[in-house]
Amino acid sequence: MKVKKFINQPENLIEEMLEGFVIANQNKVKRLETERVLVRKDAPVTGKVGIVTGGGSGHKPAFIGYIGRGLVDAVAVGDIFAAPPVQRVYEAIKAADAGKGVLLCLGNYSGDVMNFGMAQELAQSEGIEVESVIVNDDVASSPKERMDNRRGVAGEVILWKVAGALAEEGADLKKIKEVGERAVFNTRSMGVAHTPCILPTTGKPSFQIGEEEMEIGVGHHGEPGIKRTKMMSADEVTELLTRQVLEDLPFQRGDEVTVLVNGLGSTSLLEMYICFRKVAQILSDYGIKIHRTYMGEFFTSLEMGGFSVTLTKMDEELKRLIDAPCDGIHFVQH
Amino acid sequence: MSQSISIEKVKYALHKVVENLEKNRQYLNDLDSPIGDSDHGESVCNAFHKIQEIVDKFPEEKRDIGELLQAVGKSIVLSGGAAMGPLYGTAFMDAGKAVLGKEELTPADLVQMWEAFAGGIKRRGQVELGDKTMYDTIYPSFLALQKAYEEGKSLKEMLREAIEGAQEGMESTKDLVSKRGRSSRLGERSRGHIDPGAASSYFIIEAFFGSLIDN
Repeated sequence: MKVKKFINQPENLIEEMLEGFVIANQNKVKRLETERVLVRKDAPVTGKVGIVTGGGSGHKPAFIGYIGRGLVDAVAVGDIFAAPPVQRVYEAIKAADAGKGVLLCLGNYSGDVMNFGMAQELAQSEGIEVESVIVNDDVASSPKERMDNRRGVAGEVILWKVAGALAEEGADLKKIKEVGERAVFNTRSMGVAHTPCILPTTGKPSFQIGEEEMEIGVGHHGEPGIKRTKMMSADEVTELLTRQVLEDLPFQRGDEVTVLVNGLGSTSLLEMYICFRKVAQILSDYGIKIHRTYMGEFFTSLEMGGFSVTLTKMDEELKRLIDAPCDGIHFVQH
Repeated sequence: MSQSISIEKVKYALHKVVENLEKNRQYLNDLDSPIGDSDHGESVCNAFHKIQEIVDKFPEEKRDIGELLQAVGKSIVLSGGAAMGPLYGTAFMDAGKAVLGKEELTPADLVQMWEAFAGGIKRRGQVELGDKTMYDTIYPSFLALQKAYEEGKSLKEMLREAIEGAQEGMESTKDLVSKRGRSSRLGERSRGHIDPGAASSYFIIEAFFGSLIDN
């Protein structure tokens, strides 16, 4: 496949993207001079626990699009699909800390876990209170008995929303960690892709797939899922994903859920609404009520073709936090 | 060939490691394509990118090989990123710690250093032999080095056997099912492919020990 991308030198793409991002959003965000870390303009915010996240680049609007009031304070920006180094995460922690401590939110990838973990130890050794919540919502990535091996995917958006809202309310670090972990525990996701993204650094597709095939349970770096099948209709594939997500928690009749249908990069909103329609039908059949719906591109894999379905079981506290207003760069809620 | 290793030789060997990784960058990306996300060459080259500078700036008057290796490890940990930064960085830091204060490495020091290097990978990655990781290259290379030492072989033979052990270890990952990292989610589908981390470890060992033989 010929690589068609609007970039300059591949080795400069992250820097050039960040340069544009900071100018475009200069009322909301600033960049640390010493490290590739973006920070909420008014951080550290007095009286508030800092929320820090980060990971590899290529997931726009994640991670930096979630910087803002009611969401994330600082982001350590990695290279394409590669965890940010320890020093960078450490600088993000320092930039977000207003003396009430910092919560690290990260996906369950060995690179992220090691770099964030070592940065956490480094910051703690200097007297900063730091806790972390690791997202592992992808049901296709490992069986339920080995949940600690599951990848974190679009469910991380739910964590940012909930933890960010609670931090904005002035809650302490212990409380935010506890609620954040509950939100993660109540969240399940699964994705599908029919077309890989092309890595701009190497010019290679993130995985190989036949013209008429799709990968069920794909990860958002193009990691293989649980099976490869012929293309299915929107209803068929949505049913497959949704049932697997429902059965995993398991969600039950009478539950209330937040639904997140997330485009992985090049799947149209038109298609996603068709798929969401099927999610809503299935939930209705199960007697599960939709509390709130998020539709669109929340956590992509460059221009991968596909989507994911995320469900979070709500309780009263989570409902309040999900409904709270936020003012992120690419995630605004009134 | 001398039966001990000077700090100059270690510096030279570290440069050769970076060179060898750069040379194999695309190959490592390609190995990573079927079981990962095609960027292992990028990650590992990024992680090692700064060490040439660290080596070159290490003061001439300082002779402590342990200190040099620790400085290299710290740089890789702090600025390496991906999974490679913490893993290789910890390995170099632990290796440095094991030979701290040494201005020359004897064959016994080398064995001790390499045991610590392997231990660093195991500790940071929480891996076991057979998990289909870099440890499957590094640990067998340590075993081969130790065995050659215990059999009283020359330093040259020790190094050569350590490289052979690494190569066999790397090749053994082809038939393994991954238990760690991104590829572990593939289960059986990871079989049939050499682990990219095991391969980068081989290139590090090939260059590091290889340059000590030649030099």
